[in-house]
Amino acid sequence: MQLVPDNKQRPLRVVLTKVGLDGHDRGVKVIAQALRDAGMEVIYAGLRRTPEDIARIVLEEDADVLGLSILSGAVVPLTRRVLEALHAQQVNDVVLVVGGIVPEPAREELKSLGVQGVFTPGTSLTQIVAYIRASVPAERSYQEAK
Amino acid sequence: MGSSTRPARVPPPPAENYEAWLQRHQEELRDSRKKSFETPAGIPVETLYTPEHLQHEGWDYQRDVGYPGQAPYTRGFTPGGYRSQLWKMEMYAGFGSAEEANQRYRYLMSQGSTGGISIALDLPTQVGYDSDHPMARDEVGQIGVALTSLDDVERVFDGIPLEKVGHIFSTANAIGPIVCAWLIALYEKRGTPTGDCIVQLQNDPIKEYVARGTQFLPIEAAVKLSCDMIEFCRTAAPEWLPISVSGSHMKQAGATCVQEAAFTICNAIAYVETCLERGMKIDDFGHVLELHFCTEMDFFDEVAKYRATRKVWTKLVRERFGGTTERSQHFRLHAATSGRPLTAQQPLNNIARITLQALAQILGGCEQTRTASFDEALGIPTQEAARTSIRTNQIIGYESGIPDTVDPLGGSYFVEHLTLTYEREIEAIIRQVDAMGGALAAVHDGFYQRALAQGAYREACAIESGEQVVVGVNRFQSDEAQPVPTFKLDPGAAERQVAKLRAVRERRDAAEVQRTLARLREDCKAGVNVMPAVLAAVKAYATIGEIADVWRDAFGTYVPEAVRF
Repeated sequence: MQLVPDNKQRPLRVVLTKVGLDGHDRGVKVIAQALRDAGMEVIYAGLRRTPEDIARIVLEEDADVLGLSILSGAVVPLTRRVLEALHAQQVNDVVLVVGGIVPEPAREELKSLGVQGVFTPGTSLTQIVAYIRASVPAERSYQEAK
Repeated sequence: MGSSTRPARVPPPPAENYEAWLQRHQEELRDSRKKSFETPAGIPVETLYTPEHLQHEGWDYQRDVGYPGQAPYTRGFTPGGYRSQLWKMEMYAGFGSAEEANQRYRYLMSQGSTGGISIALDLPTQVGYDSDHPMARDEVGQIGVALTSLDDVERVFDGIPLEKVGHIFSTANAIGPIVCAWLIALYEKRGTPTGDCIVQLQNDPIKEYVARGTQFLPIEAAVKLSCDMIEFCRTAAPEWLPISVSGSHMKQAGATCVQEAAFTICNAIAYVETCLERGMKIDDFGHVLELHFCTEMDFFDEVAKYRATRKVWTKLVRERFGGTTERSQHFRLHAATSGRPLTAQQPLNNIARITLQALAQILGGCEQTRTASFDEALGIPTQEAARTSIRTNQIIGYESGIPDTVDPLGGSYFVEHLTLTYEREIEAIIRQVDAMGGALAAVHDGFYQRALAQGAYREACAIESGEQVVVGVNRFQSDEAQPVPTFKLDPGAAERQVAKLRAVRERRDAAEVQRTLARLREDCKAGVNVMPAVLAAVKAYATIGEIADVWRDAFGTYVPEAVRF
């Protein structure tokens, strides 16, 4: 059976959340509204989610993109744990982006772990929307259907 | 001879009213920098303000402003303002383990910080986890000092005479009662009377559910515990300020000045009403309430907010709670410059931003001001950035002449117009929240949360479009690097903290810990004031995690909700 790539038929689905204990979520809520206004379906899963929680939500929501917001200084170890939880659930195709206070050396480290996009303060909303659109492969829904 | 060379005196323009003046200059005035001028709360700002505006609004000097030290306190609570005493200059700090924080506090005090010790707590402490809890991994000491038992508190204050500190502040919210008990226990052990130093604890959990996010109990239980602490302090430490109702975090999460003031007052009403229901009288505790705001970049917006808030609060205490004493109408106004408008780009520009913010809160008449450090968009302040921050406050206080007369902006047509407008707008929001059933109902409804998220997004879009200028970010960018040293936390601090915690667990009397925790459990179940039981537990060196777990078992836990945008 030949499935037609359908991501033009359903909006991109994005799960945003905060991992770790940091509770400041102004930034992530701004991103949520910007992605919504760009036509995406956005689920903000809220504060203090554990890596296991996050992997479950990504699965349940069939998300194309997972955005983590971290300002607490523990961005690398927390992201690593989320990736481990995703892999444990066999979620290998979600586009992972991270936003927040990310010092220069940590940006490279995140990329090497498999994080696609790293957004720090001052990144424009337009850039983030464009980046997320471009990073979800057009055939993603087709691959999932197989 | 000199006089003959002077130009002829220009006769004064004929008397005209504002409308006629506008009419006469409409051509020039049409050519404005912006399409419309308004404050961040969307209140229109006219080209010019004149006595006619105030007259038109029914403004009355005696009723709306009055003299300093007189109701409605628009010009401040004391007749002499800063002439007799400058505002308290506070520096917020904390990182790593107790020893690292102790060193920074000693340094700040040596540099003339008059606001005492203002303790930033790490995230595990704020949400009631011990430093070795799995959820605390990687976050111990990161954004504040890790405190898990009385032992840590003793080490934080090691070698610091409590009677010389003057003030101790902390943003302990959900864990406010535990920190309060730690400090009472510390005073007892040191034999220092509680009146020798003012302890101010934020102890305001309501706003955590809409901004900042360190709540871990259901909101009703959190408010109950907060009021337990207020009630307990009335006899245990009557000079202390057991609550600092804070709008600061709501502002930083997207509230306008008007919303910040209104939501904070609504939250304060919730605490006051809970205390009144317990039989307390506003005249007995009104003076230990504190309102805490933060100051951002729109100068007159901020000045008017502080002036209007004093007025609104005074009316509220008199009319709603039946306060009869002057003291009960005097909340302390505690303000902090905001780290949020500070930019990671061209960080030295932040010194100018902090100066303007500090000036606005001083001209608004705050009794205690905290200045941020220019590197806060990059991480925890370095010692040098912290020193520059306290110097900024000192330069305004000692070099500018600004504190020499009381409320120098009082009587400015614009400032008085804004103050009057903000008073009305703040009261309108209070009526709206009242109609919803009060602050807790507003949180359950998501009313605050929506307002904040929309405010933050509106601003982000204005910055994105360039309509709102952020120097160095969307205008006047520069490719030249402006490198500033950033703070590096000693990676061993967290390990040392955990090792000390384990040593405390070994050393203490385990049976006594269990006995005190059992009593706390019973008191939670019985619905009585938990403070005596919390105090007994901390004295036995029960940890924050153990106490918070008893609360979690007794009251349930807060579960974040997913929101679809």
